[in-house]
Order: sequence, then structure tokens, then C-alpha cells
Amino acid sequence: MEYGLKPLGREKLWLWLMLVPTIIGLAFGTIGSLLATLTLSFFDWDLIGAPTWAGFSNYVQLFQNESYMEAFSNTLKFSAMYVPGVVIISLLLAVLLNRKIRGVGIFRTIYFLPTVTSAVATALVWNMIYGRDTGILNFMLESVGLSPICWLCTNNAMLSVVIVNVWGAIGEGMIIFLAGLTAIPRDYYEAAELDGASGFQQFLRVTIPLVTPSIFFQTLIAAINAFQAYDYIYMLTRRSGGDSSVPVAVFSIYRNAFHFFRMGDASAQAIQLALLVAAFMGVMFWWERRYVVYE
Amino acid sequence: MRKLLFVLVVASLLLTACGGGTKPAAGTGPVTITFMMWGAPEEQTVWQAVVDDFQAANPNIKVNVEVSDWDSYWTKLNTLFAGGTPPDVFAMDAPLYLDWQSRGALLNLQPYIDANPGFLDGFYPQTLTAYKLDDGYYGLPRDFNTITLFYNKDMFDAAGMAYPTADWTYDDLLAAAKQLTLDKDNDGKTDQYGLWTDTWDMELFWSELIWANGGEIISPDHTKTLIAEGGARDAWTYIDTLYKEGIMPTPATAGEYGGDLFQSGQAAMTTIGHWAVPGYVASNINFGVAPMPKGPKGAATSVNSAGFVVSKDSKNHDAAFAFIKFALSEAGQKRLAELGFSIPVLKSVAESDAYLKQAGSFDQKVFLDSLAFAHMKPVFKGYEEWAGVVGDGLIPVWDGEAELGPTLDEVVKSADEILANNK
Repeated sequence: MEYGLKPLGREKLWLWLMLVPTIIGLAFGTIGSLLATLTLSFFDWDLIGAPTWAGFSNYVQLFQNESYMEAFSNTLKFSAMYVPGVVIISLLLAVLLNRKIRGVGIFRTIYFLPTVTSAVATALVWNMIYGRDTGILNFMLESVGLSPICWLCTNNAMLSVVIVNVWGAIGEGMIIFLAGLTAIPRDYYEAAELDGASGFQQFLRVTIPLVTPSIFFQTLIAAINAFQAYDYIYMLTRRSGGDSSVPVAVFSIYRNAFHFFRMGDASAQAIQLALLVAAFMGVMFWWERRYVVYE
Repeated sequence: MRKLLFVLVVASLLLTACGGGTKPAAGTGPVTITFMMWGAPEEQTVWQAVVDDFQAANPNIKVNVEVSDWDSYWTKLNTLFAGGTPPDVFAMDAPLYLDWQSRGALLNLQPYIDANPGFLDGFYPQTLTAYKLDDGYYGLPRDFNTITLFYNKDMFDAAGMAYPTADWTYDDLLAAAKQLTLDKDNDGKTDQYGLWTDTWDMELFWSELIWANGGEIISPDHTKTLIAEGGARDAWTYIDTLYKEGIMPTPATAGEYGGDLFQSGQAAMTTIGHWAVPGYVASNINFGVAPMPKGPKGAATSVNSAGFVVSKDSKNHDAAFAFIKFALSEAGQKRLAELGFSIPVLKSVAESDAYLKQAGSFDQKVFLDSLAFAHMKPVFKGYEEWAGVVGDGLIPVWDGEAELGPTLDEVVKSADEILANNK
């Protein structure tokens, strides 16, 4: 695929000049820290003494470390619920809000609001909603005669945080799908209608195939966010002593590095997580080549 | 990508930040030292007063005080250490002391103590134990806290009940707490709990209860967790009863009320340390204080201290110790007593009006007298991780989602693994 014109002569100079700040940022900020983490993952380092060579032992220990395995499996469980939740709900929402209805701008704004609100503030509000004694949700359950649920106790906490995270992410997903939807030419739908296709058939046969680039993109973004989810989860499930009832992988990395003084373990965990994200992206790009339709 | 990057960026910053460092002290020239501590914003004012007094007496030394909240304090400290620019003097919590000492971060203060004969004579000996190692002190206590029973006088009066006394047993506590648990408007929900305390960390309640039942927390060589053996098991059954009978709000419920239900006037009793007093006074709680109840094996409470340590890599060891020495002198300790959070480690100050005549209509001496039967809060390597496994492991039991017996055995197994990893 070739797009547009090739930069020539002076343009080329400008091109590089404009790229310099980003490249410097990437080199030192991203690649530098990536290399530092990779290096540290082969050392034992308590942040004070000199790092000592550890070979692959940090990686071997990952799989024997129960608390990391729990955190990692929590991240997988979380992702398995979060990614489909975000993609499906935000697609449906975008389809709903892609029609000519009154106040569509207001609805779009409402659904987008969580994206631009501070995660800490909204997590506090959700704490009030989820409360066992004083929570709004249990108040509603009880007023229709159901028994209250302990939303943030160990058994339900995972589902509860998935709900909050999905709620917080559908606004962004909706915008991406709306952009994809408006790009679909009206005549396709008119043609489908002439052929007698129902609304649902149009959605299935016209909308879905033509919005696959957005689905692909949104799944990728949602998966990356899911693997790194931290803020809402920690705010909703934190306990005294800085612990969390739903420890996820990023939480484990942070805690090992800065609370338990195990930089090497934390780095190995970070690398393992990054490799997993990379592997997932590989699968996604394979999937893209087979199923994603570009106009 | 942002959150992962955060970790990576911090990691790389740590590497590049090495090599800054403070200027070495040049003979007698003026030096500046940094003192870092955790605490409430009002503590900054008091410590600034201590520092001002110190600087007036030592014009050659300038002290910068940095106060952070508990969580960011430790993160900041770790980052500074990793960057090779640690503060000269910093505050230490006794249970975490060994984690820091064993990493080689702290200066052995013994030569300084030897050079100042009689320096430690005025200290409560119980507060020194936590910091004493085979080759000397790598830190010194600055204040301490014993845990006592706080009770809301208004709630006892309203129920026509006698206030707790020094002779109370845990059975008395249970009976009174039961009587003080009220559903005033009969809507099926408790409006006033008999007791609220934290059962996540050992300090506020469960260590006292275990000791009063003749149990122990950890073996002397720090290899075995003993919280499920002998009398200790009875302690957990007691706590289970408190939660099951609804006398104490479960952790999930307590969280909704902002944590301290005694301060919000929703619990008749609590067990906590002196640091809570300023908050309770500010919230206009009409409270009294009694010693912890007695168990089958007598009275027991917990004593824990906050202390000072000096970074080994500090370039200003002498100035750092001079500051500690001043803060631990009568003048410094008096200022600390005025703050009202904790109890001075100097006997002469704790037993003077500076401490005993503070605001509040309760007997300040209860906190001092409790030392007679206080056990030191255990200090061992891997404390934070161990405490997390125990505290978190039992929450499902308190929230009514798991059985006590098997959960306790499971928790002890994981706790012992952590001890083995931190040998």
C-alpha cells in the first residue's frame, strides 16, 4: 500500500526535524526504559545495594510465585470479561446513537463523560454505589424485595470492577465506532432495503463487515488497556496496608518493586506482561489480514 | 501502554538518576541535611519548630524537613535510595526496620551512642528493644504507642452501663459490646455497633488478644508463624464471634463508613493508640480510656514505635546524629508531646505535664501504665508482605464468605512461605 506523495529534498529535512522530539522521547523514554527493565530482569536488585546477576532465575521464579500467578490470572480473567464487554457494548451504543434522534449530542456526551473524568473520583462514587449497607445498588435491590449483595467482597469483587471498567471505557469505544459507522455510505443500506433486508439483517450483513477495521482497532486498544488496568481496580479493592482484594499484574509489579524491594522480580513480571501483549497483538494482526475489510 | 510505561520510565529514571549525590561536608563549613518523615500536615509545623530550635543551637547545620503521607513516603524513599540521593535522616516504622537495615541502607549509630555516655538512660527500655541488634543500634525510637480501650461515655450513659475498668476481661468486653449494639429505628440495620477495630493488621486488636490467650505471633528465629497454635486459635474464634453476631461491622461495611466508626460516633468502643486522640477530640467524641481487657492468661497490649534512622550513604553523619540527639532531648521531646499524636520516649517528658496535661478529659497515664504488660510489636524481615497475606487471607472469613478453621491453616502456610523467602 502506498499513500500520498513521497517527501522530496527540503521536505525531507523538515520531516526529520519535526520527528526529532518524538524520536528523542521514544529513544530515552520508551526504548531506554524498556532496555533498562529488560536488563534489570536478569538481576536481583533491592534498590540500595549493587544489582547482582541472577540469570533467568527471576523468570523461573515467576511461575512458582503464587501471588504473582494469582495476580496474572486475575489479569487474564479480567481481560476475558472486559474486552468483549467493551467492544460489544460500545458498538451497540454507537449504532444506537448513529441515528437521527433528538438530543443525540446529549446522549453521546453522557456516555463519553467517564472517559474525561478522573478515575479516582469516579471510583469513589462507585464505592458509594457498591456499598453493602449504604450502597445505592443494594438499596434498589432491597426496595424490590431482593436480598443485598456484598459487591466488593472477595467473591464478587472481580465482576464489580469489570462493570466499572467497562462503564469507564465504552465512551471512548463509542467514539471510535461512530467514526467507523459514519464512513459507511448510505447507499449500501438503501440497496439492502430495496432487497428487503430487515434492520437486524442490515446490521449483520452491512454494518458489521464494514466496521471490522474499527472492531479490530477497538479490540486491540481494549486488550492493551485490560492488561494494564490498575486505577479503578485499586481504588475499589484496596485494603489497609496497601493491599488489594483483586490484585492484578500491574499492581503486583508496582508492589514488588516499591514495597518488597524486588526490582528484578518486578522487571521480569513487566517483561512477561509485555511479551503477552505482544503475542496478543500478533494474533490480532493475523486475524486482521483474514477478516478485516478495508474499503 | 501508559501504566506499564510508568513502571518502565521509573525504572530507567532510577538508573540515570545515579551519580547526583550531595556535596561532601567540608570541615567546619555550614552543612544542609534533609529530614524526611511521614505524617499529617500539622506535624510539619511542629517538626519545623523542633528544627528551628535545633538550628538556633547549631548555626552551622541547616535542616530541610519533608513530610509526606504514609504511602507516598515509602515510595519516595525507595526512589531516592535507588537514585543514590537518600535523605540524611528519615523516619522509620519499627516493624519495617529490619527490612531496611538488612539491605545495608542504615548507619550503625553505636559509635555515636558510645561517644555520648548516658544518652539512652532516660528512654523507656521497651521502646529501645526493637532497634537493638547484635552490633548496636541502627536506629533510635522517637515516640511510641500502646494500644488501649477507648469508650464513648455518652453511649455508656445512655445505656445506663458502668464504664470499662482495668479489671475487665474479654468476656466483659463481649457482653458490653453486645448490649451496646443497637438498631434504634428497628429497620433491621445496626445503627450503633458495640465495638469497632481493625483486624487486618495485628497492632490494634488481634496481637493483644493472642497474647492474652497465651499464644504467640511468630517464633523467635522468625521462621514459623504461630498465630494458629494453642491459645492463639481461641483469639480468632473470639473475633469471628464479634463479626458473626454483628457486634463489630465487617471490613466491607466498615469501609463504607470511612473506616473509623468510633470517630464517626457509630461505635461505642474501639481499641487504638494515642495517635487517634487528636482526631477524636476534634470530632467532639466524649470518650474515656481503659487498659486492654484481660484474657485467660492475663493482661497484654502491644507497643510499637516510630524512630529515626540515618542513611549509610549520607555525607553528613555527624550533623545527622546531632539533629537526632536534639530531637530526642527533653526540649525536642516536649515539642513532640505538644503535638498530641504519640507518647514521648523520654520517661522524664512522658511523666511531665507536657504529656500528662494535654487536652481531653481522659487519663493520659493509662497509655504509660500499659507498658507494664506490653509486648513489642514483632519486628522481622518481610513484615509487610507477611502482614498482607495474613490480613487479606482472613477478610473472606470476616465478610462471611469462608470458614475460619481451614482459612487460618491456609494463611499460615502462605505466611511461612514468605518467612522462608525472606530469610
